[in-house]
Amino acid sequence: MNNTETKKKKEEKNKKRVAGWQIALVGAFLFYMLIPIISTYVFSVATRWDRTILPEGYTFEFYGKATESSYFGITLRNSLILSLTTVLASLIIIVPTVYWVQIRLQRAKPLLEVLMILPFGIPTVVLALALVRIYTVPPFARSPFLLIGAVVVYSMPFMYRPVSNALQAIDSHTLTEAGQSLGANIFRILIEVIIPNIFPGLLSGSLLVFATVFAEFTLTSLIVGARFKTFPLLLVEYTRINGNVAAAFSVISFTIAWIVSMLILWVGTRSKSASTETIQAR
Amino acid sequence: MAYLELKHVNKAFSGVDVVHDFNLEVEKGTLVSFLGPSGCGKTTTLRMIAGFEFMDEGTITLDGGDITGVPPNRRDIGMVFQAYALFPNKTVGDNIAFGLRMKKHPKDEIAKKVRETLEMVRLLDTIDRYPHQLSGGQQQRIALARALAVQPRVLLLDEPLSALDAEVRVALRGEIRRIQSSLGITTIYVTHDQEEALSISDRVVVMNKGLIEQAGTPEEIYRSPKTRFVATFIGTANQFPGVVSGAASVTSGSIKLLANGAKNFRDGDEVVALVRPENIQIQTEDTPHDGWNIIPGVVETITFHGAVTRLGVNASGQRVVADVTMANSKPVSLNQKIWLAFSAEASQVMAAK
Repeated sequence: MNNTETKKKKEEKNKKRVAGWQIALVGAFLFYMLIPIISTYVFSVATRWDRTILPEGYTFEFYGKATESSYFGITLRNSLILSLTTVLASLIIIVPTVYWVQIRLQRAKPLLEVLMILPFGIPTVVLALALVRIYTVPPFARSPFLLIGAVVVYSMPFMYRPVSNALQAIDSHTLTEAGQSLGANIFRILIEVIIPNIFPGLLSGSLLVFATVFAEFTLTSLIVGARFKTFPLLLVEYTRINGNVAAAFSVISFTIAWIVSMLILWVGTRSKSASTETIQAR
Repeated sequence: MAYLELKHVNKAFSGVDVVHDFNLEVEKGTLVSFLGPSGCGKTTTLRMIAGFEFMDEGTITLDGGDITGVPPNRRDIGMVFQAYALFPNKTVGDNIAFGLRMKKHPKDEIAKKVRETLEMVRLLDTIDRYPHQLSGGQQQRIALARALAVQPRVLLLDEPLSALDAEVRVALRGEIRRIQSSLGITTIYVTHDQEEALSISDRVVVMNKGLIEQAGTPEEIYRSPKTRFVATFIGTANQFPGVVSGAASVTSGSIKLLANGAKNFRDGDEVVALVRPENIQIQTEDTPHDGWNIIPGVVETITFHGAVTRLGVNASGQRVVADVTMANSKPVSLNQKIWLAFSAEASQVMAAK
């Protein structure tokens, strides 16, 4: 009896120790990830923060300055236009393509996989300069259209991965055939059967693309520069003028990304819980 | 002219013949099974009828019209898949309504039809549920209802019961047959389960290596198999390889068999005589009958199967199995000497190849 009790205690102790180092590890990771964000938040409201550990005083003055900037509204608008257009464009390009390859053109799959790694392989600077060199005639030359095209290509892997995984998870082949045997054409099947079943994949793809493009700097700076100033461009500009205002911009940028993410997730979970509710109600 | 006709259908996958010169006529309202081992081309043939696979050669006509080049969604052919393939995002009711909506039926008619079809498969109470909330058997009945709701010209079933438990399988195959004959819908049923094929079909098409071995009623297939493959694939058959010796006899090793089928062969032809286990009777004494084979042997195994008991008998080195109903024969024990008795009609003779 005694033996088993001590054994039990030992086991419990072991469990606690394991839990202890796990917490430490997770804590260290969170600290590493959060410290820059927290510092940015604090810096955006600090009066002076170079002689003390904590800021000497707090103020919202920089947020005023940030929002008063004549470019604030325009850059914000441009960034939203760029991100949302890109999300829309990659949805329209990627979803039917991946679906078609999955059900009709399996042979093209390796090619598609390679294409989707390419954007990671080519340095952004090279991509931007090459595009600028090639597209020299209007309406593309150094235009937002060229930028959107470039950003769509650049962010494609972020849409491709989740969509492709989601399509593989459902038996899209048999579902398609079932739909066809019931008299539906491929387009109707895509809209009514495939898309609703890969919706979570579309959602996370959209989220990743939005976040990536909203923070995109290199392509925007090199392709359009001041002609189509986006939020990241304004932010970088202000790091040279006033660090606190730049921090305020960063915080605003974070917040927008957060809100949009939450919004997309909310739409996703709402459509899901709506269906579970109907299930439970009956 | 038959309702559904396949003529000289050929299909190869990367150079390998999968279906070879397939010819078949299916009468309206009948249930025809494609039966064969995996890889025999039965599913490929079914998918060509559905339009999911292209044919290399041949034509398919349905109700007098050539459908060879018609895309699957315009063929008016319903299909039930092994994996059910219900739309997970739609309720049972919406699943069944899908085909009717594609055909642009009016709304109230769709609602009425959905309820009728669900009543037919006895699952009206699941109308608002989602597929994942149903058992496998229920899902397959919904899939059947969905395929039937649009009143297709032909119904195709691709191993519909393979993913289900034995008990559900037997119950559901009876249900499929009941619905099929009450609607009088022309049906093609693919299976590798011979019992399933024999029990529900009007006609069975036995396939092997892309060829039709034999097509006929279940009784014909079972009682008078035309090839050795059919004889051994359908049910169990004892095989006595040997040569024809005289008018109606086959010599297999040290055993000389009386077999009426040997009349169709010439002396010295290499043949196989086949005898079904249930056609063999057991005698505990050597009592000869005219026109019967009486072969001595020793009981090596006794396996109880419920309705029958299967005896494994060593007859001069040849292993023979015999099914006996213990109720109306004398009990036998292991290593007992017995005599196998079967008539000359019971043993079929076919070329050894």
